[in-house]
Amino acid sequence: MGCMIKSQSRGEVGVLRVVATPETGSSGPSRWSHCRKRGVDGSLRANREEDAGREKGGHSDSRNASFTTPEGTGPVSRCGRKADWGSQVENDEMKRDVHRDMQRYRRRILGAEVTQRERKISSGSSGSCDSKEGEHIETDEAVLLRRQKQINYGKNTLAYDRYIKEVPKHIRQPGVHPKTPNKFRKYSRRSWDQQIKLWKVKLHAWDPPTEEGQDKVLDDIEELGIDDVMDIELDFPDFQNVPASLTTHSCSLEGEDDCSGTPVKIQKTETTVQPELA
Amino acid sequence: MENSTEEYRIQSLDMDTQMLLKTALKDPSSVNLEKVSDILVDQSLKDQVFSKEAGRICYTIVQAEAKQNNGNVFRRSLLNRLQQEFKSREETRARSLQEWVCLVTFICNIFDYLKVNNMPMVALVHPVYDCLIRLSQPDALMNEEEVDCLVLQLHRIGEQLEKVNGPRMNEVFYLLRDGFLLQEGLTSMARLLLLEILEFRAGGWLLSGTAHKYYYSEIAD
Repeated sequence: MGCMIKSQSRGEVGVLRVVATPETGSSGPSRWSHCRKRGVDGSLRANREEDAGREKGGHSDSRNASFTTPEGTGPVSRCGRKADWGSQVENDEMKRDVHRDMQRYRRRILGAEVTQRERKISSGSSGSCDSKEGEHIETDEAVLLRRQKQINYGKNTLAYDRYIKEVPKHIRQPGVHPKTPNKFRKYSRRSWDQQIKLWKVKLHAWDPPTEEGQDKVLDDIEELGIDDVMDIELDFPDFQNVPASLTTHSCSLEGEDDCSGTPVKIQKTETTVQPELA
Repeated sequence: MENSTEEYRIQSLDMDTQMLLKTALKDPSSVNLEKVSDILVDQSLKDQVFSKEAGRICYTIVQAEAKQNNGNVFRRSLLNRLQQEFKSREETRARSLQEWVCLVTFICNIFDYLKVNNMPMVALVHPVYDCLIRLSQPDALMNEEEVDCLVLQLHRIGEQLEKVNGPRMNEVFYLLRDGFLLQEGLTSMARLLLLEILEFRAGGWLLSGTAHKYYYSEIAD
């Protein structure tokens, strides 16, 4: 019986997302969508109530129905949907910006390398580790564009705006202050996605304060009615309340809100399940 | 500021709309930019004079929005609205030549003014060519309105268009030559316009001094 519930719950829930990021591929608004400066259609968010009215189908916070993030698990094929002129022009613009960034970056790196080599020669060192970073630049356009989009999502937040206003570059400390990942360095896909995640998590420290944000988690749990769990609790004569499936449901709600992060599986056993609701 | 808004030829609009546009130019984030783009497109389709220069005000709003908050709501909704109109151009043409001509003029004007990093918008190149080729078809050449529109656009953006896609410009001019030579029932005005544009392009998008005298001093008289 316990096993039945376990497999059912796993089928229903999947995993509990612990670390949350602003994007979500699913239908509910993310906990941090209020921190997003702009909806995906580009419009500035004055306040959330305003946005809720302009639903474009699929998302209640005015995101385009086809909204996904580059690292999210959203619809895979993107070719057909981006045929509108607005998106085409934006993509072209991004491509050009990326190419221009690349020229600048190359010049900067090669310039630095030359200076480095000259210094080594003049100081007489043998220069064993001659790191020619200029030759190991990421040049694949598709990769660069995807990375740029991910960076743009991170920068398109109130947190980022507040961060750059509060902490000018010259007083930023490595490790302490979030640093935008360098899209031109060679990294594996996994490594890059992790860097982006960590960067965004760090940026959350500059989220604007909100009354509703912290309470939302509790609200989600409270929203659970007993009705939701009636079906599943049948085989649990030992339990007075409905703990196991309740935990399941609260997990699934969390799962809708949060996106990627270190997954933590909730295992149900017959014995220790505490009722979450008071 | 007041002086420059005259350039935008918004006098044909009612006062409220004029105010809205002026606000959009100064403080884009304070207005509904989707609404503004709809207004501009609607007006361009009605008013030929407006459609010839509407690109300019659009460009200014795009720049203003980008500068103010790095946004591109206006550009996006303008382009997507334009795309809709482009898709239904054949119905538009069947319904009203005047509206069709305004549409082409407006699209070309947008192509002319709304550059991205000083480069023409790639997304608009084929649509513009599609419109010009439509205007070069035998049935269109029979209408002076359409011929007039065609040659106006070629004068304004022909050179740019050829640079970004030469083969399609050749396509246009094959049709124009055929039209000029073979099409029966063309008015003499239509033939004059076609001959002029043929010479213009042949001269490298420039009319020689004598040719200019031939074509333009006659009209002045």
